[in-house]
Amino acid sequence: MDKRVILAVAGSGKTSYIIDSLRSSNRSLVVTYTENNYKNLHNRIVVEYGCIPKRIRLYTYFSFLFSFCVRPFLADELGIRGINWDEPSIYTRRIKRTENRYYLNKRQRLYYNRMAGLLQIKGVVPDIKRRLSKYFDSFFVDEAQDFAGHDYNFLCALTPADVYTVLLGDFWQHTYDTSRDGNVNKNLHKDLDSYKCKLKNQGYEVDVKSLCKSYRCSPTVCDFVSQKIGIDIESHCDVETRFEYVDSAERADQLFHQTDIIKLFYQSHHKFHCFSDNWGASKGVDSYGSVCVVLNKKTDDHYKKDRLASLAPKTRNKLYVACTRSRGDLYFVPEKYYLKYKL
Amino acid sequence: MNKFVTKLKLHNFRRFCHFSVDFNNKMNLLIGDNESGKSSILQALDLVVSGSRSKVETLGLESLMNTDIISEYLAGSKAFKDLPVMWVEVYLNEQNNPDLNGKNHSDGIDCCDGLKLLCEPMDEYGIEIADILKEAEPNFPFEYYAIKFRTFCGESYTGYRRFMKHLLLDGSQINNEYAMRGYVKKMYRANVDDRETNKHQNEYRKHKSQFRDNVLSHLNDRLDSYKFSVATNKKSNLEADLMITEDDISIENKGKGRQCFIKTEFALQKNSMGNPLDVLLLEEPENHLSHTNMKKLVSMIAGAEDKQLIVATHNSLICTRLDLSKAIMLNSSGDKPATLDGVPKDTAGFFVKAPDNNILEFILSEKVILVEGDAEYILMEVLYEKVARNQLDGADVHVISVGGTSFKRYLDLSKLLNIKTAVIRDNDGDFQKNCVDNYKDYISEYVKIFFENDNNLKTFEVCMYEKNKAVCDDQFTTGHIKLQPQDYMLKNKAEAALRLLENKSDELTAPEYIRNAIKWISV
Repeated sequence: MDKRVILAVAGSGKTSYIIDSLRSSNRSLVVTYTENNYKNLHNRIVVEYGCIPKRIRLYTYFSFLFSFCVRPFLADELGIRGINWDEPSIYTRRIKRTENRYYLNKRQRLYYNRMAGLLQIKGVVPDIKRRLSKYFDSFFVDEAQDFAGHDYNFLCALTPADVYTVLLGDFWQHTYDTSRDGNVNKNLHKDLDSYKCKLKNQGYEVDVKSLCKSYRCSPTVCDFVSQKIGIDIESHCDVETRFEYVDSAERADQLFHQTDIIKLFYQSHHKFHCFSDNWGASKGVDSYGSVCVVLNKKTDDHYKKDRLASLAPKTRNKLYVACTRSRGDLYFVPEKYYLKYKL
Repeated sequence: MNKFVTKLKLHNFRRFCHFSVDFNNKMNLLIGDNESGKSSILQALDLVVSGSRSKVETLGLESLMNTDIISEYLAGSKAFKDLPVMWVEVYLNEQNNPDLNGKNHSDGIDCCDGLKLLCEPMDEYGIEIADILKEAEPNFPFEYYAIKFRTFCGESYTGYRRFMKHLLLDGSQINNEYAMRGYVKKMYRANVDDRETNKHQNEYRKHKSQFRDNVLSHLNDRLDSYKFSVATNKKSNLEADLMITEDDISIENKGKGRQCFIKTEFALQKNSMGNPLDVLLLEEPENHLSHTNMKKLVSMIAGAEDKQLIVATHNSLICTRLDLSKAIMLNSSGDKPATLDGVPKDTAGFFVKAPDNNILEFILSEKVILVEGDAEYILMEVLYEKVARNQLDGADVHVISVGGTSFKRYLDLSKLLNIKTAVIRDNDGDFQKNCVDNYKDYISEYVKIFFENDNNLKTFEVCMYEKNKAVCDDQFTTGHIKLQPQDYMLKNKAEAALRLLENKSDELTAPEYIRNAIKWISV
């Protein structure tokens, strides 16, 4: 059956696409990675149906992995007590992959980043496929770009023949990895072409057309992102908004106190007493109006030299996420103006 | 879709160390002696499906865990790793719910839907447990056991997740106030959906505050700083105040028999939304019921559709009328109970229609003497004592009068359950045809037919007369008896037998074939 990857841009309606697909398909499984997006999808489904209908199951990735894939088959056999969210110690890499110790710590908790690997080594992937096709007709994975390490391999192996499968993701919004483990899939996100190629080799049809235009962002924001950050994005709208680089303390203060404009910081936003979040954490949020992106020193330098495109990939992607949160205007404020507010 | 329990497995639960019993989706009859574990099975099902930790705690692990296992453990190594665990697994039919499905059960290999109650020692108290075990007096660390409810998927659950709607109705608890409240609550929950419940509770609370504002206000206006109000809390809320009425009379105020009847009937009823209950567990429904009411109850239970019934009973009538082939017997000490599902259909049908009988006594026995009628039955005890020099009861031999020659129906059961059965019957003038050829398919090491070889000695009375001429002549020539003694005996079989038993029991001699039967059965 159909097995597709839709590469989308920010604000192009991934969630709406999923909600629309849910309407026409019968029993559906939706898996997403971040808590933000989970809440987002949850709310949209509740708005649509008044509740979460029995035929639709929504999971965050790790609850799907643990409660749908690992536990039904291995809980008793391995005496699993839960998940260990800490990185396993380096020495554990020397343990043979066939030994349970590689996956479980001394308190019988599974290392979160090795759960997917465990499923493959224990040979339960066929069981999970059967389970998927027993209970579901379609399978949607949102935020697919974040799947890395063992999780990417697991996801690719996990597409039962009789379940309609769609992975949705924005390659450039790859700001987190679901998990990492040594060198497993280390270079997966190095560049877009090889990423697409890899998916094609896994048997996916790669769709870059369906969701290439943003509903959320104005042509102004889209042009800025395409030209300055170097990430292609088009807009569905034709109303221009404003881009402003703030270069005075007065204007910066004014924006700081404006409660309807979110201030997005590179990190540690909680140290500033205003309506704020971090660049990366704002992923999946669709409720902001205009956005004020606070530039740390390094990014500010890059901006001034018009070299945002050559920022470290992670930073660049996060900046892309932050900019594309905007439904209206986009402001850039150097962090120096806000240091006085820092707690 | 009909939800039902396909299998129950018990491990160290009550009297069962390892035990497994299969159920069908409709009628299941648990039969067995006192203490055979009928109630334990219903209780185990109730505990697991309820998912209520407090229910388990109220009963106490001490009463739930197998006592032999505990004594054995305390007499042995007393190592932490050997501490016994207790579990109950309830296997369900296909529920189309991934939360119930998985391999976390003792059958292991296949994915099944089901629920499990698990009681095991908590690792984190290893030191405390070791201290307790070190004590000189044997002391078991029940308090350090965790009570866990898990689906076969490995997920924890509580009573709020209603995977299945069930009710346990215990006939012996009929006058218990707590049981009554439990019943009302269960039936209420079964008949409403969750949204409705919340709505009802919300409205009820609202009405209480309206009562306070509109009615109590007159009183409160007269008061100063302290006012009266109506309680709404855990003890006084809708579910605590609900009752069930019939013709505006609370069923609590009805007689025990009627209450039993109403409760069962209500639990069996469908409503417009469908089936309120998936599984009904009935414990000794015969309690408090008159014979007529019991018959009514039986036809009601037999007519229940789309519902699984698991009935524990002592009563032959209930058992036979509800289809003997659905019976599960609990007197054996094995891991699996014997079932009667191999009973031929016509035989099960025969017992449904046959006169009331002692069928339970028969199937729960190990040794049985089957006789044709009342006369043989009356005299069998004394003849047995004479031949075997032992009491019938002491030897655990049961005598059953089948009232005719329908022995084969009983022999079908003997065959299935390996009950040692001696059939004593008249040759009716042709022993070869009536007593040999007739039963050739039934003869085995467990079944033997005993009869008189002389075709002239057609019946029991004739044989008895032959063997005890003097006694019979003495008894049956007196007074108003005008018939020949033997003819009198044949015309008044039971009467004559009774007179022999009362007056001459010491002097009676058993005919040869009966002697043989007694010798064979008492070995």
